[in-house]
Amino acid sequence: MIELVSELLKIDEEFLDELISLGGEGIKRCYQCGSCTATCPLSEDGIIPLRKMIKYSQLGLKEKVLENLTPWTCYYCGECSDTCPKDADPGEIMMALRRYLTTEYDWTGISKRIYHSKTFEVMASLVLALLTLGLIYLLHGPVVTDKVDLETFSPVRTVEIGGHVILVVLSALVISNLYRMYKFTVGDSAKRVPLSRKLSEFFKTVPVHFLTQLRFRKCGNRIPWIKHLILVSGYASAFILFAILLRWTLTNEIYPITNPLRILGYYSSAALIYVSLDGIIGRIRKRERMHLHSHSTDWMFLILLLLVGLTGLLVHLFKYLGMAMPTYLSYSIHLALVPPLLVLEVPFAKWAHIAYRPFAIYFQKLKELGEGGV
Amino acid sequence: MFELPKPVLVLGGGIAGIQASLDLADQGIKVYLVERSPSIGGRMAQLDKTFPTLDCSSCILTPKMVSVARNENIELMTYSEVLEIRGKAGEFKVRILKKPRYVDTEKCTGCMICMEKCPSKVPSEFNEGLGERKAIYIPFPQAVPLKATIDKEHCLYFREGICRVCEKFCPAGAIDFEQKPEEVELEVASIIVATGFFLDDPRKREEYGYGKYENVYTSLEFERLLSSTGPTKGEIRRRDGKEPKKIAFIQCVCSRDLKSNKYCSSICCMASVKQAILAKEHLPDVECTIFYMDLRAFGKGYQEFLERAEREFGIKYIRSKPAKIEEDPKTKNLIVTYEDTTSTKFEKEEFDMVVLAVGMKPNLLKWLPFEEQEFPEIGDYSDPVSSKIDGIFLAGTVSGPKDIPDSVSQASAAAMRASVIAYGGGV
Repeated sequence: MIELVSELLKIDEEFLDELISLGGEGIKRCYQCGSCTATCPLSEDGIIPLRKMIKYSQLGLKEKVLENLTPWTCYYCGECSDTCPKDADPGEIMMALRRYLTTEYDWTGISKRIYHSKTFEVMASLVLALLTLGLIYLLHGPVVTDKVDLETFSPVRTVEIGGHVILVVLSALVISNLYRMYKFTVGDSAKRVPLSRKLSEFFKTVPVHFLTQLRFRKCGNRIPWIKHLILVSGYASAFILFAILLRWTLTNEIYPITNPLRILGYYSSAALIYVSLDGIIGRIRKRERMHLHSHSTDWMFLILLLLVGLTGLLVHLFKYLGMAMPTYLSYSIHLALVPPLLVLEVPFAKWAHIAYRPFAIYFQKLKELGEGGV
Repeated sequence: MFELPKPVLVLGGGIAGIQASLDLADQGIKVYLVERSPSIGGRMAQLDKTFPTLDCSSCILTPKMVSVARNENIELMTYSEVLEIRGKAGEFKVRILKKPRYVDTEKCTGCMICMEKCPSKVPSEFNEGLGERKAIYIPFPQAVPLKATIDKEHCLYFREGICRVCEKFCPAGAIDFEQKPEEVELEVASIIVATGFFLDDPRKREEYGYGKYENVYTSLEFERLLSSTGPTKGEIRRRDGKEPKKIAFIQCVCSRDLKSNKYCSSICCMASVKQAILAKEHLPDVECTIFYMDLRAFGKGYQEFLERAEREFGIKYIRSKPAKIEEDPKTKNLIVTYEDTTSTKFEKEEFDMVVLAVGMKPNLLKWLPFEEQEFPEIGDYSDPVSSKIDGIFLAGTVSGPKDIPDSVSQASAAAMRASVIAYGGGV
């Protein structure tokens, strides 16, 4: 009996060590005063139980952590970390928990390897980039050097097929991971909620939070939210230009400066470059709370983003300057960077929050409905 | 071979310094008791009641203060400061500055007429700034010595060359504006440092609004409100004169906090429980809530006291460190935001008074060979009264946060150790 009890009371040290290696070293310092939960500006609209999450982590209650959506509802304004009397840094603990949950939602095991091995992360990105370069080398059309002929060098059809392959792979991974997230967090608790209600809640929550991260607006000062919004609009413009309107953007045609496509392209590059550069500088200077600690995955994401933005701008410049070879080269590099950014970051690493954050709000709602709360 | 003992210097006239002086003097040792304020008594004199027995604080303290004044072996040097300590155990040389009181203490009878007549009002230190005293004053009615002192900084005569009203009205003719500071050098065998504590600045936790919101008080301020010698004569009133209906006590302000003091100030839990009980005794309908992280009832009868507060007086305990306090600009009431950690609930609760249990810091002066502002290191943990310097002993809260019984015990122990050196041993 005594043995059984001690077995039950044993703290899952491995789980704790994993959280600490992901940035949650403050967990051991916390003495559960609750000032983080009460400080959180979002708690005003419904408690964000930060302290409880830390308690679960301290006790090694993996299941409790897995079924909880709290980390995704934190946008890291850092006010809790500023007031914490023990410098346990609850904001960073939530960050560590988001990293942990990302690795747990992913069924392939790739995410775990990315988060726990810098070498794996760098190698995987390199391999994907080189593979894409190899494909470009094999599949590119004739190289015309007397003028810029991108359409011949890179037939739209081929790029489209590549794009579709990425889209299918990506969707399959993201959807299956989201399904696992649903299983862990909502599980059976929303059984009684009718499908129509589930759908209506989906449309009420996911699109708006996906596009705007609306709740982030309430966190401390609004500047990080505005920067994030600019970044999202940059992605959205890039998506419109290169996924939907590829036929009009992957072209030899020289557009006048007033052309909306050209303007949107500039906006997109500016947004990506500005926000990713701002993030990199912030993390080097460590002025803001959210930039004090950086995991290798944070750097990788920002660097890939910046490089994609910069090379995109280069392709455009060389094309408009009529420099054929530089255009093709920068275009190839630009294209080679896209798979690591999309295929690695979206389902397995930092960018996974693009899906988990809006869905967390949705799932939270389902849980509440299931428990008959609202 | 019998030798007369050498004198001992005791710094600080609070309960620890008083106890040490009495114990030394009763052994036939000459004691110089140096106190920087006009009266001995220290923090204990400011307290209304003591925990866990709710005894009247001054009823215990005042007889001891009087004994000090009457003891022939104690030379009381109030309103005096140490300038320098030289030498070593057995033969310290200490320079002391006797500040001028501008009152001839031989003549002053403590009739207090001067205090009535003096036109210059000053916030009272004894009442933690809540009430006023005059520029000529006796800090509190039980002061020892019961002699008036002119506070040069606020006296109209010293500032503007006018007034001299006290001089006109003093029936004993004790006022002497010509007094000069005096320096004396003492030779002592050993020194007991019993300089006590001050409360840290609660503005370090600006989210609690101390100094900004008029109904946020420190624990010592609230103690003065409870006391019949206090600014409200023992009536609990807010600054606007209103009687509070709901009082919140917040523990661990500037204690157990890496942003101010890491350590636990040890007495605040019990002090707040005591104050909550006293508040209930004064105002039976008042609601008292204590916000705590851990309730530390470390002494004899303390746990029982804390439970009695809940059972008998209906004091509410909430396990939480509140995140912030906001003021309702109209009512001046205070809204406390906190997470009740036992039920994981986010709450905003309105109180009309908040008392911050602020952490202790040691009163260390720059001439003491200790690192300023931090509790001095004890020489050896199996010898908790000795400092790192031979012949200098520590007593009371200057060596670490502690309650009255522990301060008194340490004072007696320090007196014993100091007496060994006074008799020529132990060096």
